[in-house]
Amino acid sequence: MYYQKFLAPLAFTLSLTAAWAASAQTLTMGVRGGPESMDPHFSALGSHAEAAKHIFDTLVWSGTDLQIEPGLATSWTAIDDDTWEFKLREGVKFHDGSDFDAEDVKFSIERIPVVTGPTTTAIYVRRVESVDIIDPYTVHINTDGQAATLPNDFIRLFIVSSDAAAEYSTQETAAEGFNSGAATIGTGPYKYVSWEPNGDLVLERFNDYWRGMGAWETVIRKEIPNDSSRLAALKAGQVDVINYVSSVDYLALQQDADIDTVIGDSVYIMNLQLDQREDTPMVRANDGSELDENPFRDLKVRQAIDYAIDRETMVEIVLEGLGKPANQMMPVDFFGSNTDIPMPEYDPAKARELLADAGYPDGFQVDLYCTSDRLPGDAAICQGLGQMLTQAGITTNVNAISKTVYFPAQARLDYSMFMNGWGTLTGEASYTLGSLAHSNDPDLKLGAFNRIEYKNDEVDTLLQTGATMMDATARRAAYEDAMAKVMADKAYISLVQLQTVWAAKAGTLTFEPRFDEDTLAFYITPAS
Amino acid sequence: MLGFIIQRFIQAVGVMAVMSVIVFFGVYAIGNPIDIVIPPDATQEIRLEAIRRLGLDRPLYEQYFTFLANLLQGDLGRSFVYNMPVLELIGGRLPATLELVLISVISATVLGVSLGIYAGYRPDSWVSKTIMAVSVLGFSVPSFWVGLILILFFAVHLGWLPAGGRGDTVMIWGVAWSFPTLNGLSHIALPAVNLALFKLAMMIRLARAGTREIMLTDTIKFARAAGLSEATILRRHLLKLISIPIITVFGLELGSTLAFAVVTETIFSWPGVGKLIIDSIAVLDRPVMVAYLILVAFLFVTINFVIDLVFALIDPRVRDGASA
Repeated sequence: MYYQKFLAPLAFTLSLTAAWAASAQTLTMGVRGGPESMDPHFSALGSHAEAAKHIFDTLVWSGTDLQIEPGLATSWTAIDDDTWEFKLREGVKFHDGSDFDAEDVKFSIERIPVVTGPTTTAIYVRRVESVDIIDPYTVHINTDGQAATLPNDFIRLFIVSSDAAAEYSTQETAAEGFNSGAATIGTGPYKYVSWEPNGDLVLERFNDYWRGMGAWETVIRKEIPNDSSRLAALKAGQVDVINYVSSVDYLALQQDADIDTVIGDSVYIMNLQLDQREDTPMVRANDGSELDENPFRDLKVRQAIDYAIDRETMVEIVLEGLGKPANQMMPVDFFGSNTDIPMPEYDPAKARELLADAGYPDGFQVDLYCTSDRLPGDAAICQGLGQMLTQAGITTNVNAISKTVYFPAQARLDYSMFMNGWGTLTGEASYTLGSLAHSNDPDLKLGAFNRIEYKNDEVDTLLQTGATMMDATARRAAYEDAMAKVMADKAYISLVQLQTVWAAKAGTLTFEPRFDEDTLAFYITPAS
Repeated sequence: MLGFIIQRFIQAVGVMAVMSVIVFFGVYAIGNPIDIVIPPDATQEIRLEAIRRLGLDRPLYEQYFTFLANLLQGDLGRSFVYNMPVLELIGGRLPATLELVLISVISATVLGVSLGIYAGYRPDSWVSKTIMAVSVLGFSVPSFWVGLILILFFAVHLGWLPAGGRGDTVMIWGVAWSFPTLNGLSHIALPAVNLALFKLAMMIRLARAGTREIMLTDTIKFARAAGLSEATILRRHLLKLISIPIITVFGLELGSTLAFAVVTETIFSWPGVGKLIIDSIAVLDRPVMVAYLILVAFLFVTINFVIDLVFALIDPRVRDGASA
C-alpha cells in the first residue's frame, strides 16, 4: 500500500527527468557565496557584484588587475572642478532588444539611494549631486566638489534598463521585480533565467552582447559555501570550476593529476591594528593590574611588535605558501602604493630591546582579536601572530572569533589589538587610506573605518588635498607619500597579502585570475 | 478536549512570545548588523543612513513593539539581507527540508524498529549482535564526518550519486518537490542516509530495549498459551506496547531535525531552512532569525500536541485517563 502510493508518481515523472550529463556548452561554477537579490543595486557585497556582472554592465570596467578601462562609457573627462563628462557607447542592446542610452545611466544612478539594502551601494554614487543628459550618448555628472576618483567609484555601478525597471524601483517593489525576472534586463553577456536565494543562478547566453558572444550557451552558478563540499562537487563532476580552494585542499590537489589549480593574487591584505586611545580596554600588566598608559601610543612598542613578526614563516608555514609578505596596506602595483617602503625585518632580539627601552622590560599582556571565518587563513594567522608576539615578550591571548561578533565589537571600539583583512577593491589608495588612515571625521566623510583613533596631521592633510587633485600624477605622489607616513607610524602593521585558488577539471578550461577574486563566466573559455 | 486544545494554544503563544523576546534581545547584545555588512568605503553618513533605514536607530523596546504590531497583522517583516518577506523566504525553502527530513526520519523509524524488534526477540543470534554493533557506530560517529565520507565514497570515488544540491524538481500544488524525480531522489539519497543514521541507531536501541522487556511479561506468556502465532504476538501485542516511547522520540526527532538539519544541509548544499538560519545568524539577519525560531516553537508545540492525540488513540489507559 505504502509502496504503491510512493512508486506511482515516481514512474509517472521518470520521463520528466532531464538529462543530467553536462554538455560542453554548459558551464557550471561552484562558488562560495552568491547574490542577495537579482537587483544589482541592492548590495555592494563582492559575491553580489560578481553575479550581477554576468547580467549587467558598468560604465567603467575594472580589468583583471583592477585598473580601469572603458565599459559602457567609452571615455570620461573632468570638464571642470565638479563635473565629469561621460561619453557612452553607441549600438549597445539590452536583453529585451531595446537600445542603451543616457536615460538608463541617469535612471540607474538616481535609483541606487532608493533601493539599496544594508550593504549599501550608496557608496558608488556618494559624490554625485545630479546627472544631466546632454544628448543620448553624453552625460554630465555633477559632484559635491572635486571628485578625482569618480570613475573608480563607478566600477560597480550597474546599468539597468530605465523601461524594464521603471515599475520596480522602490524599497517594496525592487526585490519582487528583479527576482521574478521582469526587471532583470541588462546589457551584460548573459540573460537571466532563474535564481533562488542561496541556490542556483541560471543564465543563458545573450547573442547580441557588445563585447562579442560568450563561450557558453548556459551558465549555472551554484552556491556551495562549504569548502569541502565545493571541492567534492568538482571531483564528482557536478561543477566545472570552483573558487576559494582552501590551503589544505590546495596542497592535496598538487598531487592530483585530474584537477588543475589557478592561483591569483588577492586584493586582501591582513593588517594588525593597534589602538591609539589614551585608555585602551584590553591591555594589562603581566600581573593583571592596570598600566599607567596605553603602550601602543609609544612608537618603540609598535616598532617592537613589527620586529617580532616573521612574515616569511607566516606565509610558508601558516598559509602553506599561498600568500606574500606585505609591507603596506595595498598590493605593490596599485595606484598610490609606495615602492620605497622597505620590507620590515624579523628581529626578535631587537624587539625585546625596544620593549625594554620603552619601559616594558618584562612586556605586558594584551588580548588579540581576529576574524576566524572571513578570509582564508585568518584564524591561523592570528594564532601565529599570538605566538610570535608572546615569544618577543608581549603575552598575547588569541581570540579568533566569528565576523558576526568581531565587526560590531570593532565598531564599538571594544578592542585594543585586532587583525582583519582589507581589500582595496577599487585598485587605488583613496579607498583604503581615506577610510583607515585619516582621522575619523564625518564632516569630511573620511576615516569611517579608522577604529584605532589613529591621527597624523600630515597624513590628514595629504589625504584631503589628494582627494581634490584632478591631476593623476600629483595625486599619485600625494597618496604614495601618505602611505609611507602611515606605514612608518606602525599603528597599522601590514602582515601578508593573501592569494586565492581556483580549481577546474584538468585541461578543460582556461581563465585568468582576477585581483578582485571574481569568477566571471564570460572570461572563462573551454581549453582548445 | 476543547479545553485541552485551548490550553495547548495558550502554551504555544507563550513559548513563541518568550522566543521572540530572547532572539530580539540576544541579537541586540551581539551588536549592530550594519557593521557586519557595510562596505568598507562607506562614509559615516552612509552608515547612519543604512542604520536608520532598517529602524535600528530606534530604542529596542520600540523596535520590538513595531514588530509585535506587524505580527498581529500577519506580517513577520522583511529580511535585512534579501529584502524579501520573511515568510516567503522560509516558505520557499521549507519543502526542501520537509522532504529530506520526512524521508530520513520515516525510513529510519521503519527500519530501526524492525531491526530493533529482531535484536530484542533473538538477542543472542549473531545478526542481532551485528545490528547492535552497527548502532553503536551510528551513535558515536559525528554526522558531519559521516557526510563527508559518504560524499567521498559515493560521489567522488564511485561517482554513483551527486555530491550535493537538490536536483530536478516537479511542481505539485505550486510547490517544488524533488522526490518524484529519479534525479531528485539521487540527490536526496546521501543527505537522507546521513541524517537517518543517528535516528536509526536510536530507534534500534529503543525498540530492542522495549522488546526485551515486553517479551518477559505475562501478556506474552498468556498470548502464547492461547496459541497465537509468534507473528501475531509481535504485531498485535508487542508492537503496540513498545510504541509509546518510540512515538515520543519520533515526534521530538522529527521536530528537531526539521528545525536544525543544519550540518547535513551545509555539507550537502541542500537548499533548506537549516542553511537559511545559519546564514542569517552569520549576518545577524534578525527578522529571519525571529520568524524562524517562532515557527520552530510553534512546530514543537504542534508536534507534541499531535503525539498526545496519537497516544490516546493507541493506548486505552491514556484515553481513559484523559476522559476521566
